[in-house]
Formats: sequence, structure tokens, C-alpha cells
Amino acid sequence: MNPVQPRPCTILDVKKESLHEWTFRVASDAEVSHGQFMQLSIPKIGECPISVSAQGDGWLEFTIRNVGKVTNVIFDKTAGDTLFLRGPYGKGWPVEKFLNKHVVVITGGTGLAPVRSMLNEFMAHPDKVKSVHLISGFKNEEGIVFQQELQEWEKCFHTIYALDNDEKDGWRTGMVTAFVKEIPWDEFDGDYAVVVVGPPPMMKFTGLELMKHDVDPEKIWMSFERKMSCAVGKCGHCRIDEVYVCLDGPVFPYVIARDLVD
Amino acid sequence: MNRDINVKQMRINCFRQSKVPGEFMLQMRVPGGVVDAKYLDNVRYIAQTWGDGNFHIGTRQTFDITGIKYDDIPAVNAYLEEYIREIDQELCEVDMDQVAHQPQPWDPKSGYPTIGARNISACIGNYHCICANINTFALASELEKIIFPSHYHIKINIAGCPNDCNKAHLCDFGIIGVGKMVYHPERCIGCGACVRACIKGSTRVLELNEENGKIIKDECCCVGCGECVRACPASAWTRSEEPLYRVILGGRTGRQTPRTGKMFLNWASKDVIIGVLKNWQEFSAWVMDYKPEYLHGGHLIDRAGYKKFKEIVLKGVELNPECLVAEDIFWHETEYRSNFNVKPMEMHHTAGPRNGTD
Amino acid sequence: MSYALNIQQANAVLDEIRKDYTVFAPKRFPKQGRYSDTDIIRYAEISRFEDIVWDTKSDYPAKEVLTPIQQAIFYFTEDEYRESKGPKKPYLVLARPCDIAAQHVQQKIYAGNGGYTDVYYERVRKLVRFAMMECNGGDDTCFCVSMGTNRTDDYSLALKFSSEGVKVQVTDDDFTGYFKECPKAKYTPSFVEENELKVTVPDLDNAEVRKALKTHPMWNEYNSRCISCGACTVACSTCTCFTTRDVIYGDNPEVGERRRVTSSCQIEGFDQMAGQKEMRSTAAARMRFKVLHKFHDYKARFGDSHMCVGCGRCMHRCPEFISIAATVNKMSRAVEEIKAGMAEG
Repeated sequence: MNPVQPRPCTILDVKKESLHEWTFRVASDAEVSHGQFMQLSIPKIGECPISVSAQGDGWLEFTIRNVGKVTNVIFDKTAGDTLFLRGPYGKGWPVEKFLNKHVVVITGGTGLAPVRSMLNEFMAHPDKVKSVHLISGFKNEEGIVFQQELQEWEKCFHTIYALDNDEKDGWRTGMVTAFVKEIPWDEFDGDYAVVVVGPPPMMKFTGLELMKHDVDPEKIWMSFERKMSCAVGKCGHCRIDEVYVCLDGPVFPYVIARDLVD
Repeated sequence: MNRDINVKQMRINCFRQSKVPGEFMLQMRVPGGVVDAKYLDNVRYIAQTWGDGNFHIGTRQTFDITGIKYDDIPAVNAYLEEYIREIDQELCEVDMDQVAHQPQPWDPKSGYPTIGARNISACIGNYHCICANINTFALASELEKIIFPSHYHIKINIAGCPNDCNKAHLCDFGIIGVGKMVYHPERCIGCGACVRACIKGSTRVLELNEENGKIIKDECCCVGCGECVRACPASAWTRSEEPLYRVILGGRTGRQTPRTGKMFLNWASKDVIIGVLKNWQEFSAWVMDYKPEYLHGGHLIDRAGYKKFKEIVLKGVELNPECLVAEDIFWHETEYRSNFNVKPMEMHHTAGPRNGTD
Repeated sequence: MSYALNIQQANAVLDEIRKDYTVFAPKRFPKQGRYSDTDIIRYAEISRFEDIVWDTKSDYPAKEVLTPIQQAIFYFTEDEYRESKGPKKPYLVLARPCDIAAQHVQQKIYAGNGGYTDVYYERVRKLVRFAMMECNGGDDTCFCVSMGTNRTDDYSLALKFSSEGVKVQVTDDDFTGYFKECPKAKYTPSFVEENELKVTVPDLDNAEVRKALKTHPMWNEYNSRCISCGACTVACSTCTCFTTRDVIYGDNPEVGERRRVTSSCQIEGFDQMAGQKEMRSTAAARMRFKVLHKFHDYKARFGDSHMCVGCGRCMHRCPEFISIAATVNKMSRAVEEIKAGMAEG
């Protein structure tokens, strides 16, 4: 079996989350863990790694930002068109370690995509965890994704939604790091797990902020995004120190993530 | 002191008149500007025995020894025999018993038979330089026997690459080592190093095709410098096995009409260069009605017209398939004096045989 | 069993072997060097014994036989990616001990890393037998002894070349038949035991030391010296990095191939994601990344050996005269300095 063989899949639906972030639902039976990613292919253009943002019976969803030549072409596709997939790859969220704990999820921008399916599972099965605290920040109103789910999560999770600089009704203004202090860490009695996803600077500063609040570094996980070509540990693009993000990540315990130097 | 000196005769013998009465400067030929360093002993011996102890590195890469007394010239010439034999006769295989292809036995004790066809100057070329496409010294040695000895004047400058450090653009016949670089797409990693090198140091003829990660080249504007070869980390650009040459014609300095040379031949093989230079004396002789004057080749082209020049120098030359020849050349001269060329008819120069009417 | 062959006999044996194997060896490509009137020596299929360059180290490594600079991995049409076909005929690759050691390194990445086996590497690797070229000492860029790659026992044939011919030791029964007519001789291969160049690889087990080394000023000199051309990694015996690239054929956009093309961590953009900033944006950072991979990170992941096999080709090809050996020795001094500083507290 060739681990880099792409397979054709049909696009079932395209949902515009924001101007530049759309969610593509694709027919696939692949078994994916929360936080894993797949390689999306367009023949003649190339490939790009995209995390799975939701999954269901016979389908997967990918929330894609059109920033490169592959994603630009994907944005021309509509329901019924073909997309090639391979994967899933990498290590996702260690959900078994989150069970029966207070789960704190901190996301920046589209960093919400790799935790979306896990959040939906916790929403559907609230008994799996003690609580969910979600801090989601976006640059501005145009950047907000998963609007409908954000509203649903608001009903069952403790949520703080924020825009970096802009104002919005019911939303806070500021960087996500500013709201870390509002998490009731003392009430968790050490029984918590923290998940952080977003752009590299956001993750770095959130990590430092968590340290200020004496959050146990052993209880934090982060999801990395790096350039990838093969996704199976051969091409070398995503390597950091002795770690391959495609194999050992994208989700890393903070105790490893904080020491990785690109 | 002897005050009866034929200074023109001395000049032909490669001794230049000094401002100090009765003193001369010897110009020793160094074809291609490279010789075994042991000959510096000869230079030192001449300078310290007959000269004033100094020597000048000539602007055309000759060893120039100043302060030689007229009366010592026969002794200097006798001493020069070894140098002329080893450099011109042996190294460059010059036939010293012919001048301009006409038999004229050489007296080995008499020094240089003529100053015509001036020392061929060259940059160090690929004997040393990382940019050069050719061995300039080897080419100079090979051309020396074609152009020397001759009373007809030609200044040849050889540059190892289009960077033209040796100013092929400022002499009668400038030769630049070039190449049609060979692209091996299967070795190309699409890094664009050649594209950047061409933009930075050459004529911007390369472009990375984003569709396939390979290089597109504008062949027409490529100057054949080889910067792409130097820049490539994977040997995806290589030189062809045989280099090619560009000839820049009719450049000159001077009081009257200095000008930069223009391209005469592009992508010429060495055989073409040799063939053209073999015809050079015939052309010069034709223009001057077989009476050599101290006049450089570029002026002769002016008199005959480029098309006549082309006709004579290409006679019998078989052009290699890549070789391109200028159909016409329009030089651009520095106009020290406006309407320089407009003058009374009797001041006009003529060219070609005058059938004994002159 | 060992034999001594003159050139004529060697050609006769080569002709026979070539019926069953494609034979690759270092071959001279006249005047294809970086500078005019210089040659390059690189791996290519050979048909005559005289084509084998045995007295000079090749400019490019043996890895080009197994993982060419460019290869098609899939052909695509509108609705499928079809895997490219690999070679069928076995390969006999003439290689020095360092080149053979390099394949053991590449194999760990291609055929083991993450539990994924790369079909493109593996389909060629399983066809390869090595004919070990006894090394005549290499050149002043070699430091195989420092890296422990001067010896190998992974070969079917051992070859000792001279201007008269070649001595051969056959260690693989599959090759005995080719030599049955050849004159026997006493020959056991010997290995290089000392290089002029010696490298001291620092002990980087301590994470705090590594962290300090990464920000040590020693790397800054490469910002002005290194031009980030990647010639070192293309010439490297062990570098595996590649990029995937789709290409269409002619004027039909529906048909084409997906290629694997060598890439380099030294070249700008290697780690740059669409619409984002580069992670390692300086020559110094790229150099630090490469050197630590070769002399720490690989070993930390895969165990027994360092990635670098000391073949010296990176130095040989570097247009800016940067020596990996000097760099590692500088790194050793920097580590001593860091450790001394830490001891002082």
C-alpha cells in the first residue's frame, strides 16, 4: 500500500464560513481521530495538509483558508466535484486524557478548525467531561468561522468569544491571552486539560500566559502547523529538531512543544 | 650623443622614443599577458644593465623597460634573442622569417622585426578565474602566430567572459569567451538560483516557470556568460564542451573619434575567429593599397566601410551553424567636434588599390 | 574467492554482469563542472570498465541512483493517480564505504520513519547490490573515520582498482558465476584507517546545552558567508528532503505527473507555508538546522549513528568554501564554552 496514494472523493457541500474560510464536506469513510489532518490534492496544482474539522457517517469536513495556489483552486470547486484525499495522518488530541476533566480550549482564528470535531463530541456527550471552557479569538468580524456552532457551544460550554481589535455585541475585545485569567483554575482542583491552537505567536504567548497562572505544563497540548510535502516523515519539510510534525504531531504536549526550535 | 636617430625605425623595432633625448623604452611582447615568472629575471637584467632600473607594466601587457640608451639598443636586441625565441618562436610557434605572410628572414640579434599587430592582451581567463569561459592565454598564443609579425596594426583584447574585464569593447578586435549553456531539466531542483544570478549579474534572460518548476530561457538575449552554471547547486546548467566566442569590432580610444566597439560575430567557433584573423592582413593591405601605415584596424574599417570589411574577412571562412554575423554596424563615436566628418573633399580618405595612379 | 582482472577481462565480466544488472558507477562528465574546463564526476549507468572513475571521489553522491533529483511518482488523469513503475532489472552500484553507510542512513528515513515505507525508495533499494570500491584515501574533505563510516560489510563484491585492472573479492554467491574464467588472486579489501581531517562531534545530550547552542553567536558568521544555495545538500550523501510537484503535459491540463524533486533546507522558502512567514529566515538559522540534524537530531531519533557519513562532498561543492568539519569543530568549542558557563552557574 502506497502511503502517499491520493484517492478521489466527491464534494458533498461547500459552506462559506467567512470570506476566506470555507468548509468543504467530502464523501469519505476514512476513520479520523480528532485533530488529525489529511492531504488534499488537486491534480496539476499539488497538495496541501488540512486538518479535519468535523466528521460524520461517510463524510469529513475540511475548513480551508484560501492562501495558496492549491487552496485557491479548491475554492473553485462545488458540490459534485472531485477532490483527492490521502490520510489521515499524524497524532490528534489525546482525548482519553481529557475524559472526566475540565477541558479548557483556547483558539486563535481558524485554529478552531482542528478542535471543532472534539468540541462537537463533548457537546453531544456532555457526560464525558466535567466542563468545557472555550476562549475563541478572531482578528475581526470577517474572520469569524463556525458562527452557528459558536452559538450552540455558548449554550453548553463556558465561552469567551473575542475580536482582537473590533467590537461586537456579546463579544469581548482583546487578545485571547487577556482572558486566560478568567478561567477558574482554582476550582478545577488540578483536574483539567488545556488545548491551544492558533498561529505560532498566539500559541507561544498563550503558553507563557498559562505559565503565569501556574497552569501545569504537563496538562497542556498544542497543535502545530508546518509546511509539509509528504506527510509521512520522508520529505523533511516539517521537521523540527528530532521531531516530525506530520508523524509526532500535529498535536504535541506543551512540555515538548515549548522546547522545539524551528 | 648620437643625434641622428630614425625614431620611426626604432618604433618598428619596439623601442619607443623617450622625452629624454637619446633614450628609448623597450616593449617586450607577452602574448595573453602571461609568461613564466622566470622571465622577470630577463626584465630585471635589461632594466638594471641598460635601462634606468625600473619597468612599467605596459597598458597592453608588455614589459616596458625605460631609460635605454640608443647606443645600447644593439646589445639589448642581442640579449632579447632568447626571450623572443622562447616566447614567440617556440611557445606561440610564430614563423619569424615572414612578415605579413611575406618572406623576410629574421636576424635573431636584431630584436623584434615589427611592432605591428600589437601585443594581444587578455584577462587571466580560466587559467585562474571562476567566471571565465575560456583559456584566454592559450587563445592568445594560438592567435599570435596568425597576426604577428606584421606591419599592419591590430589591437586584439581577449576577455574570458562577457564581464569583459579586459575591454574587448575598446579595441579593434575584441574577443569574448562565451557559451551556449546546456540545461539539464532532470537535474533542476527549481530553486531559481540561476534566475537570480542572471538578474543580478547578467541580462535577465531566465525565468522560473511556476507551472512546472523548470527554467524558461530567452535565448535571444542571452549573452552566454555562464553565471547560471556557476550559480546552479545541482549542475543542471553546464557549459558545452567547446566554448564559443563573441567578436566586438572597431572599438578604440584616441584623440579624434573614440568609440565603443559593436558586435560583429556572435557564437563563433574558434575556427571562425582564426579564419577571420587570417584574412585581416589581406583586408588591411587592400585598404592601404599594400602600403602599411601606422593606422589601427578600426580606422581601416571606417575607410573601406563595414560591408567591404565583412566581404574580405569572411572570404573562405566556413561559419559554424550557431554563428551570427552583423549585417551592418553603426558605431557611435564621441563627438569632440560636431560634424567631425564633414570636411573638404580633398581631406577625405580613400580605400582600396589605386592602380598605380597615386 | 578473489580474482585479479586486467582491463580486458574486467570488460568481459562487466558485459556479462550487465546482462543481469544495470551497473552504476561514478562517471566523468567532461567540462560540466561549475567552472570552465573543469569536469564533474557523478553517478550514471556505465557500459565500459574504463568509464569507472575510481581514483577521484565523485562530486555527487551515490544516492542519485536510488533517489534521483527528479522522479515521477504518479501519473494522473481526470479521475486517478496511477503509481509510476519502478525499474525491474537489479542494480549493481559501485560505491565507497561512506556511500554504502549513507544508504543505511537514508533507509532509516525512507523505509522506517513513522512506520511508513516509501514505495519509491524501497522498490529501488531492494534491487540494489553494492560493489564496494576500496577507497584510496579520499581527499582532504573526507572525515569518514571520525564518523565511523570507513568500514562496511554490506557488499556483494569488493573492488580494488589500479591502472592495470581490478582485484575483486566475491562475497555473494550470486556473483561467483561471472568470475569462473578469471585468474584467482589473493585479495581482501582494506579500509581507510585515518583521514587528514578529523572532526570532534560534541556531546549534545543535555537539552539546556542544545538550547544555548541554538542561540550561540557562532552561527552568525554564516549570515555573511553562506549564500543559501543548497549545493551542500544536493551533494550530501544522506540528505533526503524533497518537494512534490505536479506538472501537466503539453496542452492537455487533465493529464500529467506528480513528481518528487530534491529540495534543500538551505534554500529560502523551505519551511514557508502559504501566506505565512518563513520559520528559518536567515542563512545562520538554516545552517544551524542542517548541522544539528546531521550531528544530533537524526541520531536522537534513530539511534546508532549520526546522519553525516563524513564523505565531505558538501565542502567539496560549497562555492563559498564553508567547511562542515570546521563548523562542527567550532560547535564543539561553543559547547565547551556553554558547559563551562553552566558549571560556573
